[in-house]
Amino acid sequence: MSNSVLALLILLLPAAGAILLAGRGWRLPRIVTQIVGPGVVWAAFVVTVVLFFNQVNGDFTYWTWIKSGSFEVPFNLLIDNLSLFMCLVITGVGGLIVTYSVGYMAHEDGPSYARFFTYMDVFIFSMLLLVLAGNFVFLIVGWALVGLSSYFLIGFWYERRSAVLAARKAFVMNVIGDVGMILGAFVVFVQFHSLTFAAVFKGLVHGCAPTLLCIFGPVPDSGMIELAAFLLLVGAVAKSAQIPLHTWLPDAMEGPTPVSALIHAATMVTAGVYLVGRMHPIYDVAVYAHGAVAIVGAVTALFAATIAIVQTDIKRVLAYSTMSQIGYMFLAVGIGAYGAGFFHLLSHAFFKALLFMAAGNVIHAMHDEQDMRKYGGLWGQLRPTSIMFLIGALSLVGVIPFVGFFSKEGILGAAFSRPDNLGLTVWGIGFVTALITGVYTGRMWWMSFAGKPSAERPVEHPHEAPPVMLIPVAVLAVLATVGGLIQTRALGVGPSLVSDYLDRVVTAQSWEENSFALHIGLVTMLVAGLLFLAAYRMRPLTARFPWAQRVLEHKYYFDELYNAVFVRTLDRAADVGFRDVETPIIDGSLAGAGTRTTWAASYASLLQTGYVRNYTLVFVAGAVIVAVLLLARFAS
Amino acid sequence: MGTLDIGGSQLDTSWFLLLGAILFTLGTVGVLVRRNPLIILISIELMLNAVNLTLIAFSRQLENLEGQLFALMTMTVAAAEAVVGLAILVDIFRVRDLEDIDDLSELKG
Repeated sequence: MSNSVLALLILLLPAAGAILLAGRGWRLPRIVTQIVGPGVVWAAFVVTVVLFFNQVNGDFTYWTWIKSGSFEVPFNLLIDNLSLFMCLVITGVGGLIVTYSVGYMAHEDGPSYARFFTYMDVFIFSMLLLVLAGNFVFLIVGWALVGLSSYFLIGFWYERRSAVLAARKAFVMNVIGDVGMILGAFVVFVQFHSLTFAAVFKGLVHGCAPTLLCIFGPVPDSGMIELAAFLLLVGAVAKSAQIPLHTWLPDAMEGPTPVSALIHAATMVTAGVYLVGRMHPIYDVAVYAHGAVAIVGAVTALFAATIAIVQTDIKRVLAYSTMSQIGYMFLAVGIGAYGAGFFHLLSHAFFKALLFMAAGNVIHAMHDEQDMRKYGGLWGQLRPTSIMFLIGALSLVGVIPFVGFFSKEGILGAAFSRPDNLGLTVWGIGFVTALITGVYTGRMWWMSFAGKPSAERPVEHPHEAPPVMLIPVAVLAVLATVGGLIQTRALGVGPSLVSDYLDRVVTAQSWEENSFALHIGLVTMLVAGLLFLAAYRMRPLTARFPWAQRVLEHKYYFDELYNAVFVRTLDRAADVGFRDVETPIIDGSLAGAGTRTTWAASYASLLQTGYVRNYTLVFVAGAVIVAVLLLARFAS
Repeated sequence: MGTLDIGGSQLDTSWFLLLGAILFTLGTVGVLVRRNPLIILISIELMLNAVNLTLIAFSRQLENLEGQLFALMTMTVAAAEAVVGLAILVDIFRVRDLEDIDDLSELKG
């Protein structure tokens, strides 16, 4: 099969699975859902691997999607190292998580079971479309579709009011980002008069091609490029739950745990990082927007990490930690260290999916109890899950030799070595965040797994999860342990496969890392690891600052602020509109028009006497008047 | 021109027009002042025929056949009108005893 057909197949396989399950899944036996649901994802993974090993590169155009005058949008898929890298993460980690769901969702009845896998396959399809798109239109379509499938999956248990509210919140926040994306695409179109990545990126370097209609002249206007970059950043920020559009992600934990692992940790929320990487020619030109990416990421990393310290819901701790780690990725791509950023994306997909699924095993064993204060003492009872959770936690903290050490150290090293103030600033924030990460991860670990079982624990003797749930977690645990070996640049020796692979597409890091950064990084990670250990005794510490505790428990009052500023303002505006505009003006004017017409008609109808001869007289009189007027005209 | 040759004797066109005008006026007054529906219908016929006379007179004088064609057309329409009008009257007579057209004033506003 030719490469273009294979590329299309990556997309079509999950789509076909979703269509089959949506149409027939609830009637077919359960085993079909169990095979088709994860099967199509694995099939897409195999196709991706084939393309990966064939080292395929190309922009495959299949047909023209829209044509209107000089405006043309082809249906094209862009296969390069970046999109293949993302496809490997999506289908590989996605396949593991969807397989895990076979066990996790086993309590659902037939229709719901099929519905879950339909949504999962729709999500995989949308995410693949997002990363494979070769033009802005399909990028936006994929971008909106992942938001939609996220909405479906957060609200999967639609009988729960909180789940429905969380789904709605996530959708609204994502649409704010979509609008930013679409406006950004408009600006790009006005500048380059094309929406394909190839033409736009060419236009950035060489100016507008003479065959294209260039409204603003051949050279792209740097102000407009900055504007486009900032608008695209709005989309990235919303999708990746960065400040200030982050409030939906913690609430999204209302969805089933595999959803949290796949969508709200490993793949969808990293779409913003992918976007900045894909748009790197734009961000190379738009220096202010590029700097903003780094600042937003750094601030979010620190902000989310501090909130994670006081959370008591195990999934919410993981959610804030996800925001924090994506902040690291933004930080990395923001300073131009794309290789380091995407390596952290990969490593985060490993260890965060691992943490979520291990947490899912715990929640499963605890009969859906998510409050860590009610766990305790799981180490002795859920040994395999505990070990795997520990691997994920150590990787998150950045303990050598787990994958998180290499990726996080790569980012901090790149930031520290960058020869300007921006690099040093974001390094400082990243450094503090790394230490806090040790604290909250340690707190989560000791609280849940160590010590004696809590008196409030819902299950006295929990059962370990079935193999279908343990094996995917174990695979990820292995990857999180040895995955770092593919890029050991943080240690100054060994390969850096991810960076080398991606540097053929994105702009390579323009500065060398100095050895001082390496030493500082090692110390940072050592201290973070010690804080992880120390967190065992740190439980009373937060209680010593009640005001800080309160601020953190309210997540810096962002929800309250948005409620006061946007939700309540809109509610009040709607009330005023109803009371002062709708009722008196619109309703009143329509009712008034009706009564006035009736009133006028009651007088006009007096003209209608009912006597035929009356009408005839009027008619004749009219005819006479017309005749007289005509005669007068001819006579003169 | 100005005169028409009727059976050898010469007659000025204006006489025909004058007759047409008199007949038309009689018809109009008939429609307006009489109350018997049958008489009103007859008066309408009178008006139509007055117009026919005028048309034919002009047709002869201007040596143009269009006027005569139009008169034929008018007769056709008049016949149709008489049919419809009489049919309506017969129907009204069936349901009520009608003497006066002014009795039909139910559509008063």
